[in-house]
Amino acid sequence: MNIKIKFREKYSIYAFLTILSALLAAPLLYVISIALASDETTYLAKFTLIPQEFHFENFIKVFQLDLNFTRFFANSLILVTFAIIGQVLASSMVAYGFARLNAPGKNVLFIILLSTMMIPGEVTMIPSFVIFKNLGWINTLLPLIVPNFFSNAFNVFLLRQFISRLPIELDEAAQLDGLGYFGIYSRIILPLIKPALIAIAIFTFTWNWGWFMGPLIYINDFNKAPLALGVQILSATSSSGQVPPWNLVMVGSLMLTIPMLIVFFFGQKYMDEFGVISGSSAIK
Amino acid sequence: MKKREAIWFYIMISPWVIGFLVFTLGPMIYSLYLSFTSWDLFTSPQFIGFKNFIDLFTKDRVFWKTVKNTFYYAFLSVSIGMVASLFIAYFLNKPLRGMRTYRTLLYIPATVPVVASSLIFIKLLAPDTGLVNRFLALFGINGPPWLLHPAWVKPALILMSLWGVGVGVTLLLAGMKGIPVEFYEAAAIDGASSRQVFFKITLPLLSPVIFFNLVMGLIGSFQTFTEVYILTRGGPNNASQMIVPLLFDNAFRWYKMGYASAIAWVLFAICIVFTAVIFRSSRLWVYYESEVKRE
Repeated sequence: MNIKIKFREKYSIYAFLTILSALLAAPLLYVISIALASDETTYLAKFTLIPQEFHFENFIKVFQLDLNFTRFFANSLILVTFAIIGQVLASSMVAYGFARLNAPGKNVLFIILLSTMMIPGEVTMIPSFVIFKNLGWINTLLPLIVPNFFSNAFNVFLLRQFISRLPIELDEAAQLDGLGYFGIYSRIILPLIKPALIAIAIFTFTWNWGWFMGPLIYINDFNKAPLALGVQILSATSSSGQVPPWNLVMVGSLMLTIPMLIVFFFGQKYMDEFGVISGSSAIK
Repeated sequence: MKKREAIWFYIMISPWVIGFLVFTLGPMIYSLYLSFTSWDLFTSPQFIGFKNFIDLFTKDRVFWKTVKNTFYYAFLSVSIGMVASLFIAYFLNKPLRGMRTYRTLLYIPATVPVVASSLIFIKLLAPDTGLVNRFLALFGINGPPWLLHPAWVKPALILMSLWGVGVGVTLLLAGMKGIPVEFYEAAAIDGASSRQVFFKITLPLLSPVIFFNLVMGLIGSFQTFTEVYILTRGGPNNASQMIVPLLFDNAFRWYKMGYASAIAWVLFAICIVFTAVIFRSSRLWVYYESEVKRE
């Protein structure tokens, strides 16, 4: 754009954005400051915005609590890994079907698929709980993991759009070479939609890593909790009248946040390709 | 050949079909049935007709308060967030150096999981020692007790939602970057002021993105749970209680599964009505490039 921007306007824009960034960054700085505070400062709640104390041992102390943070971390990793595997496999299969294969009833099924995106999860929450309870899956990660292996309407829609854009001649050539439909899916389509699959993996990570309500419903045993639930438990379990160990709670919050930041920075390239859609990852 | 293709279609989409039947359609039918029963999860459900819905709408004052709170929170957080995102994205779209860095900085809070941001805001909004009130004190303002006061607890939650403004900014900015430069060049030749350019070009061409954001934002806010559960548990005096936390309490604290199912269906109805209203009205204000405007 060759629209000239006046000197004064330019610097007022910079000033505005800098103040705004500072305001939005302040809570994070405050968290770091609390996470590095001594137990005494925490007890007196005399926190400062700029860290004045540097008790890095808090990051070790959090793993020595009665609450097993190592387990929380491991549980979160298991949950997220299997959720990603499930979503990538199932959603890509379903998307390939809808993008490339024809069958009676296909359009109706696709409309049903799209309309399920509008159903709030709370409507199916209680019956799902009953199903998983009867399966004996309470206090396991299974109710959180298994549904991912049945795909998700949003991911299917996204991948279908992506596959539809690939030239159909690819499929035809592969078919002439004697490849069946599953062969086309696994050997031609899957390698070509890798960027989209990575985006799906990132979405799935984002949704599951910080997911709170699901674990809260299905997990009562502290040893089975993912990190998001574990950190909340730490903030709530102190006996009455006692102050929660806020410094350690904030260490936990940071441990919950840092993997999200890492994924955000490494995934930005893929997310930019999905410009419009990336914002909807906010619906947690 | 055609038949084989059809068979493979059904094989490939079978994960979704099975998932849809087992985790969506089946549970929906069951939950609709449960909404007409009284059920404590341990004995068998008692069919009680419309009693749950009648109680919800005529007897349960907490429910009405909850619906009002949810609407108040959803409309204010979505609309303030939208205006703020537009404002910020407008500046970030200027051809200046360093805008990418600002964009990244503004997005970082949005990557913080809700559990973590809720715990952070407990400390930020603490009446005496919290950062927000100490910041206000610098300007001689005596900060309110935020989460502890019925009148301030909802604004506090809205304030927290604004911390994640970066999501909307990123989305709108992507939309702004998609507007062809020719429009702006033509406007510059015609001598349009920057205000005219914004209201006559940027805003109309951005309306589909705004529309998407609005629908998703409202539906998402109607389902607010984690913030309320961690920050206030609905208090003080139910001033911050919202639909989903109330549903959760009924189902998993008080084991009133039938009543909770009825609440879930009211929530579903609210989401459908709002989506329909926004979709229907969108003709009036959403502009799609490929479309000839109906007069």
